[in-house]
Amino acid sequence: MTELSSILQLTRNDFSYFFRTKWLMAILLSLHLSDMLVVALVYGKLMSFNYFQFFVPAIIVMGLFVAALDTGRRIWLAIREGVIQYYLSLPISIYGIVAAYLLAGGLAAVVYSTSLLLVALVVLPAQAVWNTLILLPFLFVLAMGLAGIAASLAAFASTHGEYYFAYQQIVQTILLVFSTVYYPIAVISNYFPPFLTNIVSANPLSLAAEAMRQYTFAGNSVQPLFLINILLASLPFAIIGATAYLIALHTIQVKGKL
Amino acid sequence: MRSVIRLIWFDLKHELKPPVWITLQWFTFTIQLFIYGALISQLVTATEIGNYQQFYAVGFLVMMTFDIGSHAGRDFVEDAHEGRLPYLLSLPISRSKLFLATALKGGFELALMLTVPFAITLSLIGNLTVVSVAAAVATLFCLGFGIAGLMLGLSFIAFKSSDLYAAITTGLSAIIIRFSTVLYPLASLARASPGYASVARFSPLTYGADLVRLFLGFDPSILLNPVYAVAVLTALAVSTLGLSMFLLQRLVEGVKSG
Repeated sequence: MTELSSILQLTRNDFSYFFRTKWLMAILLSLHLSDMLVVALVYGKLMSFNYFQFFVPAIIVMGLFVAALDTGRRIWLAIREGVIQYYLSLPISIYGIVAAYLLAGGLAAVVYSTSLLLVALVVLPAQAVWNTLILLPFLFVLAMGLAGIAASLAAFASTHGEYYFAYQQIVQTILLVFSTVYYPIAVISNYFPPFLTNIVSANPLSLAAEAMRQYTFAGNSVQPLFLINILLASLPFAIIGATAYLIALHTIQVKGKL
Repeated sequence: MRSVIRLIWFDLKHELKPPVWITLQWFTFTIQLFIYGALISQLVTATEIGNYQQFYAVGFLVMMTFDIGSHAGRDFVEDAHEGRLPYLLSLPISRSKLFLATALKGGFELALMLTVPFAITLSLIGNLTVVSVAAAVATLFCLGFGIAGLMLGLSFIAFKSSDLYAAITTGLSAIIIRFSTVLYPLASLARASPGYASVARFSPLTYGADLVRLFLGFDPSILLNPVYAVAVLTALAVSTLGLSMFLLQRLVEGVKSG
């Protein structure tokens, strides 16, 4: 069996594990659909601009983010419960295991967020649905970057028991709150100093949410530079995550534990 | 009573050494209130709410109460699955004392986790009396015990299927919060859809949030009738805790959970 087919098999295994976790599906779907169909709609009645139109595209990106972060939970479980020892005994290199996890994380996040997109298209008219096809590869790289963040958290927390979920909550809260997922950049620039506003603008979640709003729903023509920005913002996370997980796997391979 | 205190301390000391989860709750509240709450309040133009950041602060306290209360059920299920429950049931301690220890532990957790967020909320709102603060605290505890009782009652489903329990409670949690007045007043829910307001009237969080807001000086015209709120919260706490106690009395040692 070649390395590539082993990677694809491991990717398929991890990908299906995500969708087979019933409680997780219940959490994610109930959270995102209720955000879309209740919170966005009711907040719209409290504001003088169309918050529904603003927030619904961002919920798709939130779905992508949360689903990608679940990669960390799966890695953490694999390390904690010793499944990783079994993976290390398979005829696949540690590079292959890392690649498989990041691919599965990215793929699961894109598939899950596409299901949210389909619901969003029912409730909010989109001007250029086909632009989403151009966005998809970039969203996939973004999801791999987010999976990379989760992987590095899992590698970092694997020796600290349940603290993984604390780290995950901190990262999730910070990345979402300091982004344009919930509020326009104009409001943020009124409240934050310029350097913090720049950080919020460069946040990959802000870029993805803006791309979804502008290109899929508003129907503006896709700007290649903007897509490159998404790539540039996502790749460092994927590389850092892959390196952290690789180091963790190497340590387990050599010492038998972290 | 010593055995009850020993049981409470046995569980609580894990959370206090080090107090990761308590600190995390305080951190999340602070970020949510001073970033998310502050920025969203700049977008909210509905005059009936007044200061949305204050409105949101109380709503977030109620969400935290719900979250902490619902942990009691989850802990109970984990105890059953990890073999701790059969051990506790075999101890020379009556079922009523065991139940009292579980309930009091929940109460202490609630007090620890809400102390800082509640103090911040009070300082944000200002101009309060001792009676109004005490009444708000009592309401939050009543709601917390009610939710804990509800989740403990539901946790008995987990003896048949833990997946089903996790899916029901997590799905239910998101819906109970979204379809309530935690984030927005009932009138806004009704403006979005009359059906949403009708569903919100069945959510215990609606009554908890509105009653706490009434005690903390919010405009009574946007809140539910406090008489109904007191009746609903008392009935919830008494009935669900009573039901859970009844079910615990019937639980046989050596019970197997699926």
